[in-house]
Amino acid sequence: MTTAPSPSPLLSARPAGVGQRSARRTLSRLLAMRELQLVLVTVVIFAITTAHASTFISAGNISFLLADAMAVAVIAVGQTIVVLTRGIDLSVAPILGTAALAVGFLAQNHNLTPLEGLPLALAIGAAMGLGNGFMVALAGIPPIIATLGSLAIYSGVQAIVAHSQEVVTLPPAYFNLGNGDAINGIPYLALIGAGVAIAFALILWRTRFGRSIYAVGNNAEAARRAGINVSRVTVSSYVLCGALAGLGGLIFLAHVGSADSTTGTDSNIQLTAIAATLIGGTTLTGGKGGVIGSFLAAIFLEVALAALVEFRLNPIWEPAGVGVMILLAVLADPTTGRPSLRSALRMLLQSQRART
Amino acid sequence: MAVSAPQQNVVGDAVASLAYEALEISKSFGGAKALDGVSVDFRPGEIHTLVGENGAGKSTLLRVMSGIYERDGGELRLGGESLERLTPREAQHRGIYLVPQEPTLMPHLSALENLFVGIIPRGRLPFTVDWKRMRESAGDYFAQLGLAIDPRQRAETLSIAQQQQLECARALVHNCSVIFFDEPTSPLTAHEAEMLFALMRRLRERNFTLGFISHRLDEVLELSDRITVLRDARVVATMDAADASRELLVNEMVGHQVTIQRRHARAAQSDDVALSVQQLQREGEFHNISFEVHRGEVLGLAGLVGSGRTEIAETIFGLRHAEAGRITLEGHQLVRHSPRSCIDRGLIYLSEDRGRNGIFADVQLPENVSSAIVPRLPRLRGLLNRRVEQRLAGEAMERTQVRALRRDVPIRSLSGGNQQKALFARWLLAEPKVAIFDEPTRGVDVGAKADIYALIDGLARDGVAIIVISSELEELTWICDRVIAVYEGHVTGELSGEQITVAALGRLIVEEGGA
Amino acid sequence: MAEGPARIRRGLRLNSEQWWMTSLAVLLAAELLYFSLGVQGFWGGGTGMLNQTEYFLDIGIMAIGVGFVIFAGDIDLSCGAMASFVGIVMAELWKQGVEIWVAALIAVLIAALIGLIHGLIITLFRLESLLVTLASQFILGSLATAIGGGYPPYGFPHAFTSIAGTGSVGPIPAQIIIFAVIGWFSVLLVHRTAFGRSLVLLGHNRDAARYTGVNVSWTRVRAFVLSGLFAGIAGIVIAATYNSVRDDLGDSLLLPAITAVVLGGVDIFGGRGHMAGVLFATFVLGFLYQGLLIEGISQLTANMVGGGVLVVALALKIGLERRGGGLSFAHRLRARFSPGGVP
Repeated sequence: MTTAPSPSPLLSARPAGVGQRSARRTLSRLLAMRELQLVLVTVVIFAITTAHASTFISAGNISFLLADAMAVAVIAVGQTIVVLTRGIDLSVAPILGTAALAVGFLAQNHNLTPLEGLPLALAIGAAMGLGNGFMVALAGIPPIIATLGSLAIYSGVQAIVAHSQEVVTLPPAYFNLGNGDAINGIPYLALIGAGVAIAFALILWRTRFGRSIYAVGNNAEAARRAGINVSRVTVSSYVLCGALAGLGGLIFLAHVGSADSTTGTDSNIQLTAIAATLIGGTTLTGGKGGVIGSFLAAIFLEVALAALVEFRLNPIWEPAGVGVMILLAVLADPTTGRPSLRSALRMLLQSQRART
Repeated sequence: MAVSAPQQNVVGDAVASLAYEALEISKSFGGAKALDGVSVDFRPGEIHTLVGENGAGKSTLLRVMSGIYERDGGELRLGGESLERLTPREAQHRGIYLVPQEPTLMPHLSALENLFVGIIPRGRLPFTVDWKRMRESAGDYFAQLGLAIDPRQRAETLSIAQQQQLECARALVHNCSVIFFDEPTSPLTAHEAEMLFALMRRLRERNFTLGFISHRLDEVLELSDRITVLRDARVVATMDAADASRELLVNEMVGHQVTIQRRHARAAQSDDVALSVQQLQREGEFHNISFEVHRGEVLGLAGLVGSGRTEIAETIFGLRHAEAGRITLEGHQLVRHSPRSCIDRGLIYLSEDRGRNGIFADVQLPENVSSAIVPRLPRLRGLLNRRVEQRLAGEAMERTQVRALRRDVPIRSLSGGNQQKALFARWLLAEPKVAIFDEPTRGVDVGAKADIYALIDGLARDGVAIIVISSELEELTWICDRVIAVYEGHVTGELSGEQITVAALGRLIVEEGGA
Repeated sequence: MAEGPARIRRGLRLNSEQWWMTSLAVLLAAELLYFSLGVQGFWGGGTGMLNQTEYFLDIGIMAIGVGFVIFAGDIDLSCGAMASFVGIVMAELWKQGVEIWVAALIAVLIAALIGLIHGLIITLFRLESLLVTLASQFILGSLATAIGGGYPPYGFPHAFTSIAGTGSVGPIPAQIIIFAVIGWFSVLLVHRTAFGRSLVLLGHNRDAARYTGVNVSWTRVRAFVLSGLFAGIAGIVIAATYNSVRDDLGDSLLLPAITAVVLGGVDIFGGRGHMAGVLFATFVLGFLYQGLLIEGISQLTANMVGGGVLVVALALKIGLERRGGGLSFAHRLRARFSPGGVP
């Protein structure tokens, strides 16, 4: 691969020069990449867990884990786009729920096929994302507050759509899509998820629009001066995030087979998606990171939590696992110039002394 | 917006540049005039330099001319065509580029991408980016400018000098032929500045229209074709560089007020050492710094921006931690000190960056003034006594002559001079024994300057030991009893009494005097 | 020349804090009037209306806690889980035979301790508060489930449930008294003490605060301790009100609490605003929820209206500030994220 300029650690690694020293540097650079770290850690977890319980590596289990991770993975891809512009979207859970409900009802009552449901889910998500984008870019409301408001609003919309009813019986096509394998061990959902992740990785790395997302996240004022329409880029990022949350709704519906007025919000799926984004190496201050990391982080979370269950750890510790992994992931980021544990402790002692 | 892809300039080609004129431009900030009917013209193939004291209006003019500030009145004419409302985008579109004092790059993006932000060339497929073309033309531009920057490097890893060079290259990439440099040399070492000048000369040969701001008069005289002097928001002179001399420029810059501020004659200072600094060191910032200040003495700390003078002061004040050395305040050695403990022991520091490290912009005046002594404020049954606080702050502001219609306004609604006086009031309230004032008159109008000098003099007479850091050498000659000069992190010399002259200082801060 | 109008405009902007409070008061009055006249069972002879507060003052207590943190320009997403956790810890201690009040005290102190840990992690490792408290929210959720198990204890002593929960002094519910005391305390703490002044100053400009001798890290840590403490108190109040605990009982309070802080006029970037506004906003929001619920609207729809009020109020506020020439959002955003100064 030629060396393309890009903030992606995958691509910004310099080509190996001559000599051992630069080869070692290239290696350490590669190891500093969050994407590679995630893959390695996931593989290690797989190896250890398989040694403990050999069924863990069975095609059935891999297939299940991949399919199970995809709703979060797809939402995390959308969340990443917004976080790259230095925003955040707390409202993806009800967007997912609303899309799942709308498609589910039509499928239950009118035999809507998944393929027909797709544009509907995307459109619902995009429309809700557009609302977020307007609040942030045009009304100037800080993203965390704007999407906190829309989280409440969209949850209400979801309740109205649900109308006190539930989606319980779906046409078999949904079950097939949500739990079937395209190839042995590779479920349809994983193909969809990987397709989405790769497509958006390409959009972010390779298109002018993608580059403006990074530019806005790096320095919105400078981007504006350079002639980038910052409002339009910001709104687009929320629309994309919403649309992907809608797609996540369809995936969730197909995989779980039911939906009701609290689907998505009851499991706080927006927080899990943000967790995956952070673990994937995207920073809250914007302009740094990428969607592949978030996608891999979602799979990593799924595998790690399943492994915990294999080790007879009570599943109630799953959320705690997510929390610990967020902290570990951020502390493991070497590029931020953050104080080490030792120097942090020294600072603590010093400031205590300075106060007395 | 359809911005054309960058043209493939043949290396070293001349450009068709336009003359850019400012006519009777005026601009005010919150009642304070920053520009008052200023007219300057920039011509192709010429480096036109603006000089003047801090706050004279140089940067404001360039910012108005590049669309960052909106003008209150006057006309901008580019190649004879009058420009209406000018936004930064419109300016760049018309080929006007301002290289700012502090480069504003995208830290996490590569140098290459920074170069092309906003006008990334399209690839063959729709929406895509033509990386290959970007790389090739970036190579061209870097070659044209003689820059050694790796296009793949992330901007945050470039040195300040490289970032500035990158900004110049951006101007070219954006097809700009009118390029302004707002004090580009202040953060650079002498060698880096020399490289920048070579770059500017190359641009001049190719017929670019160049504007330049600098405080270093030697480089101004060496580089410029024409020089315009601004003073107090007006143009006082425009001359050919050939006709200019250091003395002439200084006279024009400071006007005839030079005489008003001849050094305040103070009685002989006491021998009591108020603050002593011994062999202070911080890797990469300064080393082996030793000096003493006595009660009632005004010690100047002269040096260029980036010479380490602010870093020294911040280390003394506990904002940074020294790697080696000893700081002794009134006979008491400071160990692991913080700003709080310094203030409580009577050592205060007025920061050079008023906007970022000084004022609380949205906080009202009295609370701004009392902010440094919050733990000491009088209490009533455990609660802050607001009435006494207001009175104390009010008295301090009267002492420093803060002029404000009302006290219950946020400090940001005041002019720069009054903001600075409010900060002086803040530090007076802390009852300092040793005061460090970093650029005490930066961005302050002439009237307020005189008041601030009188304040500093008054404090010294009251027995306070004072350190003044300033880039304005004249200022140091007026108010200091003794001056030490720093250059690239070490002391290059010390002057006292009548030895303190602009010429002598000027030599020391660029190290000619030797250590 | 243009001095006159400029000054008038400035005058209006200066009083934006009072202006905001007045709007909240008007909103509250209009809301109470509408529900009292238009909704059967809301007014209830006055006491009925006062008793409604039992359903939302826990939000207010949590909002005050988050308010401290938001004043400093940080955020605490762990409050909801913290409240659940504290309720469970208290109930389990009580089940082990600890006197209920002692159990409550211990549980609240544990919450403050966790707040301290949050603050230390955030300031020492220079991490985003959003990130750390998000992680902590997950961890606390697991801890609560693990300690409480499937069937956490319930049926607390009557003295406890009536004093901290549903009891009343004459016509005034005990909770209002608790809330008034806590509210009064917190208003004084933010606006009349040295700690509060440091908190507000560093919220306005962290760098300038450091240069003026404010111990920025320690002040932020103390805000997190307070946030934990108040979330803990909220957890106790919930437990007393419902006479039971659950591992997710407090979780749903987090978002309304943050909403109350922001609706109360506190700037999400720190510094600006008044704690009294948070108290006001609690009533505005709480009565809105209760009125709608009594009107027969579902909880989710009521939340939707609350979210709408938040968004519209903020959009109006920001729009007015922009017109008034105040610092733009972009300005403040940049200030918020500007490099934290020298190491």
